[in-house]
Amino acid sequence: MSRLEAKKPSVCKSEPLTNETVRATLSVLKGVLTSCYGPSGRLKQLHNGLGGYVCTTSQSSALLRNLSVTHPILKILTTSVQNHVSCFSDCGLFTAILCCNLIENVQKIGLTPTTVIKLNKHLLNLCTNYLKSEACGCRIPVDFSSSQILLCLVRSILTSKPACMLTRKEIDHISALILRAFLLTIPENTDDSIILGKSIIVPLKGQRVTDSTVLPGVLIEMSEVQLKRMLPIKKASALKVALFCVSLSGDFADTGEGTVVVSYGMSLENAALDQLLNLGRQLISDHVDLVLCQKVIHPSLKQFLSTHHIIAIDRVGVALMEPLSKVTGTQPIGSIGSVSSSSYGIVKELCSAKFGSKHFFHLIPNEATICSLLLSNRNDTAWDELKLTCQAALHILHLTIKEPWALLGGGCTETHLAAFIRYKARNEPESILTDDGCTQAELQLIAEAFCSALESLAGSLEHDGGEIVTDMKYGHLWSVQGDCPSVVNWPDLLSRCGCGLYSSQEELSWSFLRSTCHPFAPQTCLPHKTVSPTSNLIVDCLTAKLSGLQVAVETANLILDLSYVIEDKN
Amino acid sequence: MNNERACAQPDARCRLSRIWFNPVDNSEPSLEEIKGSQLRQCQIEIRSTPKVVESYVHAGRILTVASFFSCFRCCFVVMAYRAINKRRHIGLQQLSSFAETGRTFLGPVKSSKFVTSGDCLESVSVSSAVRLLESLDLSSSTVGQLLKEAVHAQHNAYKTGGSTLLFLAGAWSSAAEECLRLGIPVSTVASVMSEGVGSCIEEVASLQVPVHSVFGHGDNTKTISGLETPRVGSCPFLQVPAGAGGIKEEHDFRDASQPLSTHSPSRRPVKPPEFFSLPAKVKAGTEASQALRSSLHTDTCSRKSALILSRHFNQADDSLWISKPDGFLEQHSAATPETYRCRDLVELAVGLSHGDLSTMELVEAAARLQYQKASVRQGHCTVPFVLDVSRIFTCCLPGVPGTFSCVCSGYVTVVSTASMTLIKELENQPVQVVLIEGDLTESYHHLGFNKSANIKTVLDSAELPGDSSEELWASRVLQVLTQFNVNLILVQGSVSESLTEKCVHSKRLVVGSVGSGVMQAFAEAAGAVPVTYITQVSAACVGSGVSVTVWRAPLEVGGRNDGMPVLVTVEGINLITAVLTSSVTAQIRAKEDRFWTCAYRLHHALKEEKVLLGGGAVEFLCLSHLRILAEQSLRRGDHTCSGWLHNTSSWLASSLPAYRPAVLERLAEGWRRYLSALMCNTATCSTELGAYTFIEHHVQNAAGSGSPSVYILNEYSKLNSEIFNADIPGKLEQVPRVYDSVTPKIEAWRRALDLVLLVLKTDSEIITGLGHSQINSQELEGLLFL
Repeated sequence: MSRLEAKKPSVCKSEPLTNETVRATLSVLKGVLTSCYGPSGRLKQLHNGLGGYVCTTSQSSALLRNLSVTHPILKILTTSVQNHVSCFSDCGLFTAILCCNLIENVQKIGLTPTTVIKLNKHLLNLCTNYLKSEACGCRIPVDFSSSQILLCLVRSILTSKPACMLTRKEIDHISALILRAFLLTIPENTDDSIILGKSIIVPLKGQRVTDSTVLPGVLIEMSEVQLKRMLPIKKASALKVALFCVSLSGDFADTGEGTVVVSYGMSLENAALDQLLNLGRQLISDHVDLVLCQKVIHPSLKQFLSTHHIIAIDRVGVALMEPLSKVTGTQPIGSIGSVSSSSYGIVKELCSAKFGSKHFFHLIPNEATICSLLLSNRNDTAWDELKLTCQAALHILHLTIKEPWALLGGGCTETHLAAFIRYKARNEPESILTDDGCTQAELQLIAEAFCSALESLAGSLEHDGGEIVTDMKYGHLWSVQGDCPSVVNWPDLLSRCGCGLYSSQEELSWSFLRSTCHPFAPQTCLPHKTVSPTSNLIVDCLTAKLSGLQVAVETANLILDLSYVIEDKN
Repeated sequence: MNNERACAQPDARCRLSRIWFNPVDNSEPSLEEIKGSQLRQCQIEIRSTPKVVESYVHAGRILTVASFFSCFRCCFVVMAYRAINKRRHIGLQQLSSFAETGRTFLGPVKSSKFVTSGDCLESVSVSSAVRLLESLDLSSSTVGQLLKEAVHAQHNAYKTGGSTLLFLAGAWSSAAEECLRLGIPVSTVASVMSEGVGSCIEEVASLQVPVHSVFGHGDNTKTISGLETPRVGSCPFLQVPAGAGGIKEEHDFRDASQPLSTHSPSRRPVKPPEFFSLPAKVKAGTEASQALRSSLHTDTCSRKSALILSRHFNQADDSLWISKPDGFLEQHSAATPETYRCRDLVELAVGLSHGDLSTMELVEAAARLQYQKASVRQGHCTVPFVLDVSRIFTCCLPGVPGTFSCVCSGYVTVVSTASMTLIKELENQPVQVVLIEGDLTESYHHLGFNKSANIKTVLDSAELPGDSSEELWASRVLQVLTQFNVNLILVQGSVSESLTEKCVHSKRLVVGSVGSGVMQAFAEAAGAVPVTYITQVSAACVGSGVSVTVWRAPLEVGGRNDGMPVLVTVEGINLITAVLTSSVTAQIRAKEDRFWTCAYRLHHALKEEKVLLGGGAVEFLCLSHLRILAEQSLRRGDHTCSGWLHNTSSWLASSLPAYRPAVLERLAEGWRRYLSALMCNTATCSTELGAYTFIEHHVQNAAGSGSPSVYILNEYSKLNSEIFNADIPGKLEQVPRVYDSVTPKIEAWRRALDLVLLVLKTDSEIITGLGHSQINSQELEGLLFL
């Protein structure tokens, strides 16, 4: 018997941002994210409280995935950040913190949301145009003929993820591996369009980080006993491969609803096996050397194939299917009946490999853009973090190929941008305020909020009680001990700026952030600066950061624009 | 209470994440205080967490010590924010309290513990860190979980070093906490600690002893068991050796360089003046390892004169100390036996036994057996022999006196007593074998086979089948077995009972639950091919020449009703079973663990072809090394930063030198605690204080000598010489050296450090997926909801 229940009325709350609890939760979230930011960021232990897996992380992707928020405002924020991360893999925390900062700063001002949104949009445009323009003082070209900037890019990503637990030596090792893996995914002879390949990350947990390595081709893991049974592989020339994505286990295809009636004495299993053995005979007559199957191969078929010196590897898994089809140059066979001579592929070589305690079959292709990155780290939680980081780094390298520019990292871009906006807003306000009815005073207020959001974002890099100062020439970020006396010899106290481009010995003048200082036009870095071979720069991906900036401002605008939250209580 | 809160926040029930902010606290209550005042809050936890009851077996009576576990949860229930006081890190405190429970597992003399469940109905005896953590419910604490995970990972990879990991994780977490209390920034602590341990790992390379061709060197018949009353090989470096009961050696591999004749009555080596010039060199700003190297060369010159006076090694003029690039110490000399080289299996085995000689005896026997087989198989192998642990199995026989433990070639397993007569008949004749990879039951299908549910079988005619399908299947199996004349079936999975019975009737033995390694060994040696279904068996799959005998201990083992051990073997099989027996059933698991620990230690030593000097020597070197480093950086304030801090532009990098000595000092303190725990466990020192003084004394001496590693090597020699001097001339007796495997040990350090740093860098705990109703009302206080 069903029971009808009266529907509850929807709950409508106005001006959600003025609510004290909403502000409090927002600031808690901001606190969590801010404390994770940067190379010395603090880690978070995520777990379910019931003895489940403990994930130690400081990455936005892992953090936001596991964090379940309920308030619509927080949901908007986390979803848009997650969206950004899934497209660009980097700058997630940057986006989230900047968004929180913007909301917080703007709320203090008390202008109408429409004005704020309008001005924010103008400022965003100013930033993106500047970052994309030739005159931009905080970006450098990525030179693909040398590994230097690319290595810096990868190293910066690895350094900013402290939960990977890597020492400096290990960071060098892993960044070289990532770069090599990336290069292996670039096809050698290209037509007009390049299709990049794929790096497969193979887990090698429990080993030392320096045991990680990269290999061209595909690795298929299997037990030692299994491997021994298949060795030695005699064939010297290329091997003919049949790749199946259909199960060869001899079970019957889904019979759907209803019942199949079989008379006594008939065996469907035997019938299915006969079919498989027929397939085996066909494979033998076609001179196939290697049979790969995503699912299970019937043991009898396996035995049959191995007596005819065909290597059969089953349970390859769905993740490897696409790379395998690329490596062998063939489409996976989806039905037992449709095997033709055109459905076979080729691998150059097949050998066995052992890494740590794991054994692998190694498929070496003739020419393919697939490689395997064997990644090891001591404990599981650090391994998971390292895997995410490596994926992000590979993705960033792919993005960089499309747009070969890098932004200076370590907070320098943020402070530089803030200096630039301040200068523009003060000296050329009419260039920002093109048409609509915003006043210059309003612009000054919002520009200040915007700049201080950027600057406090840069300041979030500091977690140990240090202070941030900026120089009055390039607008870069410099970090200094917290309780230092006000009158100091700056050049001696500071060593290099956040991104590592400038040294303190260059006749600069400094001022504390948030101190009132005269706006100045940050200078463009000189081109010869960027190519000094010894410099160990911290750089960020331009594409990812640009998108992060846009997402942050637009999400902040969206949240500021909310006037009602209507909740269905049923 | 719970309800009230839920009412106060109507929509709270659907908020799913909660965050515990950094367990920080303004006041710093001692553990006792926490226990007292907040006991009510933790009652639930006490009930669900098994208590640890420590028992000191060697003291003759059982002392029960209340565990610290009960007070953990309440540490969490502290609402505070980082800004209040960052000098207190609950995660680190938890880690050090957890680790404290494993203290007695350190060193050769281990006291076992009983872990009893809350209602005391069940209890487990544990004697290693892994087993302890395994039997505890640590689900309430993330730090506990991470610790468990780390110890397990270490155990799975190396089977040894778990207790070291546990202890060091504790010692270093208190070191890190101490640093925080001093106001040192977290990043600096992490960086310097990682740098310090890294430097220690580089440093201990100087205490590596090469292991070369331990087989086929000298008298092969000599075994541990042939030794007279072997003493517990514990901690010879720090231990004042007992005068009697050393291990007899056919040849003398004493320290060639020991300044025997230059000993003053006080047994302090009289050192030539060059030796004292060394500290100046160290100060001169060379790298520490370089200082060591140069000191070794200087040392060589100083030792020459001593060697001439030695009555045993008076031809040692041409002996030269060479410190090879890989850090090995080697003495190149034609006439003298190599001191810092381990060339004898017995010496190696005794050194690696860590006091458990009876177990090591088994491992050594297994190694010899395997070596013999390997040399039969491939003539004289060029590659160094490595103990292949994948071809060693254990068979545990509880209830049989411990003296029957032995090692045999082949596969020993327990079969039901019903097949007794069958085995007697099968004895003395070679039998044919098939290997089945799956289960041997009618309903079994290979993995990945999905049986459709909607298939119905109907009878077409009125004729009813006589037998059930199970019986039909069994008769088909028997038919196959008869056809190929198979008398032995080894099955990886389970076996249908009725089939086993039928097979016994037709004189065929079925053995189930056989490991895949065993299958592989039989496949290789008997020429059989493993199959999944019995229907796959063809003539090519059948192996032959297998013998089945009742396994007997030297004396008939009687009184076993549940089964009897049989030995299945075949000529040339590369498979060794260690039969482990113990009259106390509760001990059998610990015995098996110990066997594997010993086997893996030997395996790693042979694989790496090097061992570390053990018995606290490496830890002592680390301690002295860190002290020297701390002192150096205090004096010089050097700027090298090899550790964690990647961002060289940060102020942390420039402030690093100021903090470095303090952090290194705390790290060294961790080593000191390790050593003193070791000494207290082995009863070398009765009190912590005694151990402390003893260690400090040696650290002072080592620092004074300029090169701690040389000092340690000298101390090793002194021990030998003391024994030598005390004994009757001509009878050479020797305190066994203690060795340790290299990578497992160093990895244990690294893992311990990684764990500590992971916890150190964590500032909050986020619990996901819990509704309000699932959280205790007391716990709510420390939480923030999203």
